[in-house]
Amino acid sequence: MGNVMLEVKDLTTKYITRFQEDVYAVDHVSLKVEEGKSLGIAGESGCGKSTLALSLMGYYFPPLHYTSGDIIIDGRNISKMEPDDIRKSILGKEIAYIPQAAMNALNPTQKVIRFIEDVVQAHDPFMTRKDIYDLARSCFETLGLPANVLEKYPVELSGGMKQRTVIAISVILFPKVLIADEPSSALDVTSQKMVIKMLRNLMENGFIKSMIFITHELPLLKNVTDDIMVMYAGQIVEKGTAEQTVFDPIHPYAKGLMGSIIVPESGLRKVKLTAIPGVPPNLKKPPHGCRFADRCRYVTAECRMHPIEIRQADGEREYRCIFSEDELRKAYQND
Amino acid sequence: MKGYRKYFLNKLIWLLVTAVFAFILNFTLPRLMPGDPVAAIVARLAQGMSSSTGMKEVYEQYAELFGTNQPLLTQFFIYVRNMLQGNFGTSFSQYPRPVADILRTSLPWTIALQFPAIIVGWVIGNMLGALAAYLKKGFDKVLMPISIFVSNFPPFGMAVILMVLLGVNLKWFPTSGGYGFDLMPSFTWNFIWSVITHYQLPFWSIVIIAIGGQAIGMRSMSIYELNADYVKYSRFMGIKDRKIVGYVFRNAMLPQITGLALALGTMVGGALIAEIVFSYPGLGYTLLNAIMGKDYPLISAVTLIITIMVLLATFIIELLYGLIDPRIKAAQSD
Amino acid sequence: MKHTFKQIFHSGKFVLGFCIFMALLLLVIIYPIIVTDDPLAIIGQGTFFPPGIYVNSYDSIDKPSPYILNLPDAAAKRIVSKLSESDRQEMKDWLLASGIPENEIDTTDTAKLMEQWETNYDPTKGLGMTYAKQRYYQRLDKSISGLLSPEGKIIAAQNPDTGILEQVGVINQSDYVNVGEVANVRVLMLGTDNFGRDMLTQLVKAIGVSLQIGIVAGLVATAIGLTLGLLSGYIGGWVDDIVMFFTNLFTVIPSFVLLVLISFSIGQDKRGATTIAIVIGLTSWVWTTRSVRASVISLRNRDHVNLSKLSGHSIVHIIINDILPYIASYVIMALILQISAGILTEAGLSILGLGPRTTEVPTLGLMMNWAMIYQAHILGKWWAYLPVLVAIALITFSMNLMNTGLDQIFNPALRE
Repeated sequence: MGNVMLEVKDLTTKYITRFQEDVYAVDHVSLKVEEGKSLGIAGESGCGKSTLALSLMGYYFPPLHYTSGDIIIDGRNISKMEPDDIRKSILGKEIAYIPQAAMNALNPTQKVIRFIEDVVQAHDPFMTRKDIYDLARSCFETLGLPANVLEKYPVELSGGMKQRTVIAISVILFPKVLIADEPSSALDVTSQKMVIKMLRNLMENGFIKSMIFITHELPLLKNVTDDIMVMYAGQIVEKGTAEQTVFDPIHPYAKGLMGSIIVPESGLRKVKLTAIPGVPPNLKKPPHGCRFADRCRYVTAECRMHPIEIRQADGEREYRCIFSEDELRKAYQND
Repeated sequence: MKGYRKYFLNKLIWLLVTAVFAFILNFTLPRLMPGDPVAAIVARLAQGMSSSTGMKEVYEQYAELFGTNQPLLTQFFIYVRNMLQGNFGTSFSQYPRPVADILRTSLPWTIALQFPAIIVGWVIGNMLGALAAYLKKGFDKVLMPISIFVSNFPPFGMAVILMVLLGVNLKWFPTSGGYGFDLMPSFTWNFIWSVITHYQLPFWSIVIIAIGGQAIGMRSMSIYELNADYVKYSRFMGIKDRKIVGYVFRNAMLPQITGLALALGTMVGGALIAEIVFSYPGLGYTLLNAIMGKDYPLISAVTLIITIMVLLATFIIELLYGLIDPRIKAAQSD
Repeated sequence: MKHTFKQIFHSGKFVLGFCIFMALLLLVIIYPIIVTDDPLAIIGQGTFFPPGIYVNSYDSIDKPSPYILNLPDAAAKRIVSKLSESDRQEMKDWLLASGIPENEIDTTDTAKLMEQWETNYDPTKGLGMTYAKQRYYQRLDKSISGLLSPEGKIIAAQNPDTGILEQVGVINQSDYVNVGEVANVRVLMLGTDNFGRDMLTQLVKAIGVSLQIGIVAGLVATAIGLTLGLLSGYIGGWVDDIVMFFTNLFTVIPSFVLLVLISFSIGQDKRGATTIAIVIGLTSWVWTTRSVRASVISLRNRDHVNLSKLSGHSIVHIIINDILPYIASYVIMALILQISAGILTEAGLSILGLGPRTTEVPTLGLMMNWAMIYQAHILGKWWAYLPVLVAIALITFSMNLMNTGLDQIFNPALRE
């Protein structure tokens, strides 16, 4: 077992709306990422995966608010730190973020290098512009980006190039954890491929030590990440290796999710596509019992009675269901 | 720089095209109405003139100036030639003073009053709007209703209110004219001081109106920019809020510059009327006197000068904008 | 639709603006029913009578049985109202010169000042003043004693036979009339203007006329803007190029200049309120065109429009059924803004002397123009210009509030 780079314990965060209502988008989430590993987070839109990404940064601004839980980066608990200290010593340096819409992530009226200067100087005010330029240039070249991008404005770059530039900027301070929130979903297939390749190279080139990759595209996760976590309505419902979660899901929701997508793997050709009926619950008033109960084919009266705890399964797997692994497997076979 | 040159040429051509249309409108609009303009002019003129030789002289001068007996197109070219040579004819209401001479004395007052006032109002308005967007809560709650109210207040109304409060009641500033009526223009301290005190009320009434409108626009732009993705990303890269606010306001201000270019015509119109309230010796007051005196050549010249002034100012603003916003150059090179 | 209305009336800004606007509208409708006078009738001989209740003096003297009220402070009040500020100052100066210490004299305390004057003033004392000054004080003293005398005023009438004045009655200082019994009483809540016309009646009429001008101007501008915007946005191509050329052209050429040229060319005699309104509308369509075109372009390739095209509907059908409903809220907001801008423009034109001709109806701009020409603002006749300004501001403010309210409902991004 390697060094644990990121450990999250019972993290709960909420949105406060204009009408002062609370929306619990991340509810008691725990996870662990080791050095050299990558974790994928999957789930349908609105399940809280993007909110989880924001919450993991440890730096909150309205409407998102921290409620409870711990975030430990390489042995350092950041959830009790002052926001100013987090901004100065953690963000960008220990943990970095690639936003969902990287298209607009760069200030349109600033040259790329000027923004890099601002980023570096926010953490190290004494670094000269020359040093920063050299650092940026070597970083860009290692990642296969032309150095002349530095002197350009974001509007002068193509979509794929912009996304790769954002990735390069995110890792310029060699963060220990990188959180990528759907970094490729807005791109065409060619650019997507280049971005994914670049992300996979980051760890080999020593820019980052671990990565969390968030997407709704499960096949992508299977190729990029070591482990996969499935989220539903703000909670983790299943956790396991990529292989296990995609090909052998335990939780009914995970099972449904896998059944609802086309996986271009030889063994799965003949599997019929299925859809999960219904809609996720309203997170302003989450149900007391199992949150998936309303859409679950195997629901019993007991499911709705009390909150379901996450439970262990073979091979370091976890899932959140009232039934045991065997019961579920039997049920699946009977279908 | 290639992109910018293309942008510059585009704008220059546009300036020329609009100027040509300004000439055409200034020429045709009065002529669309029934009746021969020169005959109308002379008819009006006859009422106020005693010397018959003077009248004949004026009639001949105008017949030649307008070329009334020639085809309309030729008339137009004669008109353009005269205007470009600065030959605006003779004023009726201040006969025999040439119109060009009247413009020479009133134009500097208007330029010195309006452009600084509009720029100051724009700057202060943008700062307040940005603050309202950033601070929200109390400041926003107070500033926004005031801004909406002020920006809907007619410019001449603001002028009257300021004049009554600060000029008539408190007697802080003189209420009318560009300088003391007992002074002769000269480079003495006395005269300059008089000009400065007379400047205050017209200046601030234009500034206040400009602030209201600009603050509202800047607030919306800033709110929009504050929610932009780059703000979130910059925060997550550990950049200080002060610096991010700098990005936001720079980006929010850029559309405000184009907005200024588009609104300039309306603003100048309102400000000219504010000038009238203070009997400020600029173009507004000249225009009022020309209208009162049915002084056709003077009206025509004033409207043309105002149009050209606004066109040039818009042109300059757009050139500056092209220099500041990198997106312009990028768009041109596509 | 019902839901939208409910939403609109939940917006505080819209409701406030709507209430102000409705109040003005009700005033314009109801006031003429109660007060049927011609708003332009000249009733006052003289300029700028201050606001107040005007009681006919002749009728009040003529009352046969006056009421007698013994009010203790009547005399004091009478003196207070008659003793001018400068007289008080002069009295103080004399008293100072005669050796009364300054801290004992209070010009605001009339009773005490009068008492000091009565005990101290001596017309024989010169106090080193000029002869003219001494005469002045003698006259002042005389008028002050006149104020203090308890006698009434004699009414005399000429005997038609002898031509001699004969006493027909006495009005005592304690005589009163009941305003309700006086035949002629006129309330001039806002006084009169420079021509002696009742300001309030005129103002109400002017608000009505200005609103009409604004509405006509707004409708004309919106109709042109909507048509051009729809054409250029939906058809595109060369139509778009031409429309946009003129739109851009009239954006940079100040509409103020066009207005001045056109209004001047029409001439004073032909400029009615409607003509002015139409001219204003003709010069202010550019903004509506721009925004309608932008929204139509974003709608043009939506699925429902394409579906309609594929079903073979005509352009007119598509525009009416598939495009107009989506931009209706926008057009209404633009119309509201145009109306308020039209009212402001009329006021500006009138101040330049290019407003509607002055003989038929008052407008807010014309009233402002007269007040400015007769220097009401410099003479301190606030009732001649302030109510006009307040009316203009209330109209435009209420309309912009409504607009902002609507904007926040239809553009959720601006909420917060």
